[in-house]
Amino acid sequence: MAKEKTYICIGCPLGCEVTLTIDKKGGVVGFSGNKCKEGEKYVLEEYTNPVRTLTATVLTEGSSQPLLAVRSNKPILKTKLAQSMAVLAKARAKPPLKMGDIIVPNLLDTGADIVASSDLSS
Amino acid sequence: MKLQDVDVAVIGAGPAGMAAAIKAREAGAEKVILMERAEELGGLLHQCVHNGFGLLYFNEDLSGPEYGHRFIEKVMDTGVTPLLETMVVRLGQDRQIGAVNTREGFITFRPKSIVLAMGCRERSRGALNIPGTRPAGVLTAGTAQRFVNVEGFVPGKKIVILGSGDIGMIMARRLTLEGAQVEAVVEILPYIGGLIRNEVQCLHDFEIPLFLEHTVTRIHGEQRLEAVTIARVDGQRNPVAGTQRVIACDSLLLSVGLIPENELSLMAGIQLDPVTGGALVDETRQTTVPGVFAGGNVLHVHDLVDNVSWESELAGESAARFAAAGKPEARGEIKVKAGRNIRYVVPQTISGRKDTTLYMRVSEPEETVRIKVGNITTKGMRAVKPSEMLKIELSADKLEKLKEGTQEIIVDCEKRGGK
Amino acid sequence: MSQVETEVLIIGGGIGGAAIARELSKYKVDATLVEKGVDVGQGITKYSSTIMCQGANVLEFRSEYHNSRLVWAGMSLMEPLCRELDVPFKRIGSLELVKDQAGMRHPEKMMRRFSNWHGKYLPADIEPLQFIDRETLRRWEPNVDKKYIGAVNDPNIAVNDPVRLTIALADNARKNGIKILLETEVLDISAGTDEFKVQTNNGSITCRYIINAAGEYVGKIAQMADADDFVLYPVKSYQAVLDKKVGGLINRMVLATGSGMVTPTIHGNLFFGISPGSQRLGKAHDHSTDKKLADAALRHAQELVPAISARDIINAFVGFIVFRNFEIGWHECTVGVSRWVPRFINASIGFPGICAAPAVAKEMIEILTQQGLRLEENSQFNPYQKAMPDFSDLSDEEKKKLIAQDPRYGHVVCRCETVTEGEIVEAIKRGARTLDGIKFRCRPGMGRCQGGFCGPRITKILARELGIPEEEVTKKGGESRNLLYKSKELLEAQQ
Repeated sequence: MAKEKTYICIGCPLGCEVTLTIDKKGGVVGFSGNKCKEGEKYVLEEYTNPVRTLTATVLTEGSSQPLLAVRSNKPILKTKLAQSMAVLAKARAKPPLKMGDIIVPNLLDTGADIVASSDLSS
Repeated sequence: MKLQDVDVAVIGAGPAGMAAAIKAREAGAEKVILMERAEELGGLLHQCVHNGFGLLYFNEDLSGPEYGHRFIEKVMDTGVTPLLETMVVRLGQDRQIGAVNTREGFITFRPKSIVLAMGCRERSRGALNIPGTRPAGVLTAGTAQRFVNVEGFVPGKKIVILGSGDIGMIMARRLTLEGAQVEAVVEILPYIGGLIRNEVQCLHDFEIPLFLEHTVTRIHGEQRLEAVTIARVDGQRNPVAGTQRVIACDSLLLSVGLIPENELSLMAGIQLDPVTGGALVDETRQTTVPGVFAGGNVLHVHDLVDNVSWESELAGESAARFAAAGKPEARGEIKVKAGRNIRYVVPQTISGRKDTTLYMRVSEPEETVRIKVGNITTKGMRAVKPSEMLKIELSADKLEKLKEGTQEIIVDCEKRGGK
Repeated sequence: MSQVETEVLIIGGGIGGAAIARELSKYKVDATLVEKGVDVGQGITKYSSTIMCQGANVLEFRSEYHNSRLVWAGMSLMEPLCRELDVPFKRIGSLELVKDQAGMRHPEKMMRRFSNWHGKYLPADIEPLQFIDRETLRRWEPNVDKKYIGAVNDPNIAVNDPVRLTIALADNARKNGIKILLETEVLDISAGTDEFKVQTNNGSITCRYIINAAGEYVGKIAQMADADDFVLYPVKSYQAVLDKKVGGLINRMVLATGSGMVTPTIHGNLFFGISPGSQRLGKAHDHSTDKKLADAALRHAQELVPAISARDIINAFVGFIVFRNFEIGWHECTVGVSRWVPRFINASIGFPGICAAPAVAKEMIEILTQQGLRLEENSQFNPYQKAMPDFSDLSDEEKKKLIAQDPRYGHVVCRCETVTEGEIVEAIKRGARTLDGIKFRCRPGMGRCQGGFCGPRITKILARELGIPEEEVTKKGGESRNLLYKSKELLEAQQ
C-alpha cells in the first residue's frame, strides 16, 4: 500500500499543498498539487531531511543583560528542536562574548554549534 | 553635543534609521545625527532573535541581532553620530526638532533635512475593543517578544494568540520552545496574516491549532486572564451564534496589525495616506513637508526588513541631497493610484524622470494575475497575497512611455486570462 | 492579626470615602479608612464619565430628593476643592443639540427652569444658558453633525480627573491625620451596644462609628451589620476613550436627547458613552464590556459627531451606577444613618457620585455630630497640596530646569503620553504600587499603545523602586501578576 504525505510549499506566496506518494519502502513515487518544479525539490527535502535553524536565548551569568540571543550555525533536524531546548535551558553565557562565539559545541551530535547571535558584555 | 550645522537628523535607529543615516553619510552629508530613544542602536532587531533576516539584502540567513550588528558597525564606520537615550518630543513645520535626554536636558535644533524612521506600533486590545473583563495577561505579541527574548520572562504557560501576523506566529514557536503550550492561533480572515514560511515553520512544525475565520469574542478572569471565548465569524466578520467555545488560558497575545508611528509627522503638518497610515511621499521619499523624508515602517508596514533597509537608504540619500542643495528638488507630481485589487502603492507620487521602485500590497489573495502599471509595464505573478509586499521596478527608459502631461498612473492587479 | 481601635471607620476608598476622610481631617478625630484594593479610586470612581455637574446637567433633578440637594450643594464646592488639591478642573461647556422645532421643547423647558432655579438651587454666580443658531453651531463645532439646527450652550459644564481627585483627597487626609489602610477588606461586622467589631483580612477593628462608602458594595457591607434598609440596582454604563489625535474633533461636550454624549476629557482625549438611564439593569460587579452596548454607544456617538471612528478607540470600559428606587423611575441616594442600626451611616450617593461627594462629606460631619461624636477643629489642618510634576505640560524652560534638578525627568518612558522616569519614580514615592497605580497617577499606558511599549520598562522601574523581583509586579494587586515565569523555568520543570 502506498502512503501519502502532504506538505505546504513555502517557495512562493501560492503555498501549494503538495502531496507525496510514498511506496512501502519509503521511496517517493509521485507528487501532486505542486504548480512548479521548485515545489518538488522543497517537498522532497522536507520529507527526507527536514531541517531548521534553531534560534533561542540562553541565560547569562555575570552580565547586566539577563539573556543572550543564540542560534545554531547550521540547520538541525526539526525533530531535535525540543531536545535542543532542554540543553539550552542548562547552558549559561558568560561575558565577554562576541557574535559567533560558540556557546554549545556540537549540539546533540548534530554537528551544529549553538553560537552567540550578538555580543555580550558584563 | 553641538547640534548646530546638522545636515541630516534621522529619528529612530532601528533598521530604517540606521540604513538612512549610513546612506546619508555615504551620499556626502557631513554631519549626520542618528537619534534613538533606547540605550543602544538597532531598535526592535534586538528582540527579533529568529532568523530570516537579510536573505535578500545580504544573501544570507541572519537573526535579527546579527542583521542589526552589521548596520551598527557600519553606522560607526561611516562616522554617523548616534544620539542615544534621546526622545524626540516635538517636530515643527520648519524642521525644528525638540528632544529630551538625561544629559543635555531639553534640546532644540534645526537640521538641514530630516529622515523619519520611527517605525510602527502594534494595535492594542483597546483598539480592538474585545468585550470582557480587564485582567492581567493580555498583551501584544511584540511586548511578549520583548519579555521572552530580552527581559528574561515567559508571560504564561497556556497561551492563545489572536491574529496570525508574523510576530504572532513567531511568538507561537518561541513560546512553545520555551515550554509553554500554545492552545490556539485565532485568525478572523480565511487566510493567515503573515508569511507562508512562518505558518509552516512556526505553527505546523509544532502542531499548533490554527482557527481561520474565528475571533476572540470574550475575555474572562478578574485579576489574571482565565480563559477566552472564541467563535467562528461569517462573511461580515460577525461571530456566528452557537459556534462559541471557551479556551482556558493564562495569556492572550495580540498580533492584529501594525500602525505606523506618525505622531511627530502630524505635529509637523505632514499629510498622511489614510490607507498606509504613513506619510504621502514621492519617489525620493520626501513627505509633503520639504526637507522631511521617511522610510521603513513609519511609511508603510513592510513584510521583510531587507525592504525596510533599501527604502530607507533611498530616503537617506535624498535627505543628503536636500541638505547639500539647501532647497527642494522638484517634487514628483504624477499620482500613482491603487486600482483593481491593489490596497496601496508607495510612493504615492513620482516625477516620471528617474528609476523608481513601486512598493504595493494587494487587498485580497489571488492567483494567476498580472500587475499592470498604467501603460508603462506589466508583471505576471503566479499568486499574490496581502501579507507579501510586491515590488515593481520602473526604469527611466520605460517611464519614457509616459505621455507628456500625464497626471496619474493607475496600478491594477488583473486576472490573467485562460491557462 | 492586628488589632486596631478607631473612633470612626470609613469603609471604601473611592471618591466618597476619600472626600469624607479629607473632610474629617479638618477635625481632631481618630478616624481610619479601609480600602480592599491596593489603591484608592479603583472601583466605580475609575469608571466615571469625568463630567462635572456644574450647569444644565442638574436641571432634571427633582427638588424633593435628597440626592438633588447634595448635587446642587456640590456645584460650588468642586472647583475650589480641585484648586486646593492641585487637581485639574476645566470648564469646557456643553451644547445640547436640537434637531428640529419639536426638539426645542425640552431645551426651552430647561432654560425656563434654569432661570427659575438660579440663585435658589443653583449657585448665584452660574453663567446663563443661551440658545445658539445653526451658523454659530457650525462655527463653534464644525464636526458636529449638520442635521442639528442649533443648540443650548451651557458654559458651566466642567471636566476633571476623578481618580486623581480621589488620590489627592486620600493623600491630603493622610497628611492631616487620617489613617488609611489599603488591601484591607471588611469581611464581617458585628454591632455591639457601644461599638462595632469589624473583621478584615488583616485583623479586627473596633470602632464607634461606621461610614459605609463602599460604592458598588455598599449593600453587601450594610448587610453585614444588618443595616441594609434599602435596595440597590446596579445600572451598567459603557464608555470609550478615543485617541488624542482626534481630541480636537469637538471643543465642548455635545449631547442630544436619546443620543448619549461625546466630550473632551481633561487630558485631551475624546470620550463617549451611553447615559446610564437608557440601559437595562446589569449584573452586579460584572465590569465586562459587551459588543451590543459597545456598538450602540458608537452609533449614538456617530449621530452627534459623524467623524468618530471605531479605529480611534483606544480603550473602553463598563461602569456601574448603583441606583436606588429605580422602580419609581428616579434615583434617590442612600446617605444617612441606617434606620435599623445607630451610628452606622450609609454614604452611597449613586449618581452622580463624583459631583456630590464634597457635599456628602460635609453632610457626614453633621450626621456624626447628631450621632454624638464631638468634633473639635484641627488647627493644624492644611488644605493644600501640590500635584506631582506633569512633564508634558511644562514649558521648554521648565522642562530644562526640572531635568537639571533631576535627570530622570529627561528619560521619556511612555512615548504616547510623554511620561518620564522622574514622574514614575515620584508616583511610586506617592504611593503607587502597581502598573495601574502608576497609570492613574501620571498616565503612562493610557495612550494609544496602551502600555505596549512602556509596560516592560515601567515593570522594571517598579521592581527596582519597590525592591521586589519583576515577576511580582502586578497590574492591580492580588493575583494580577503580569509575568508568571522566569525564562527557562518552564523548561526546567519539564525535565
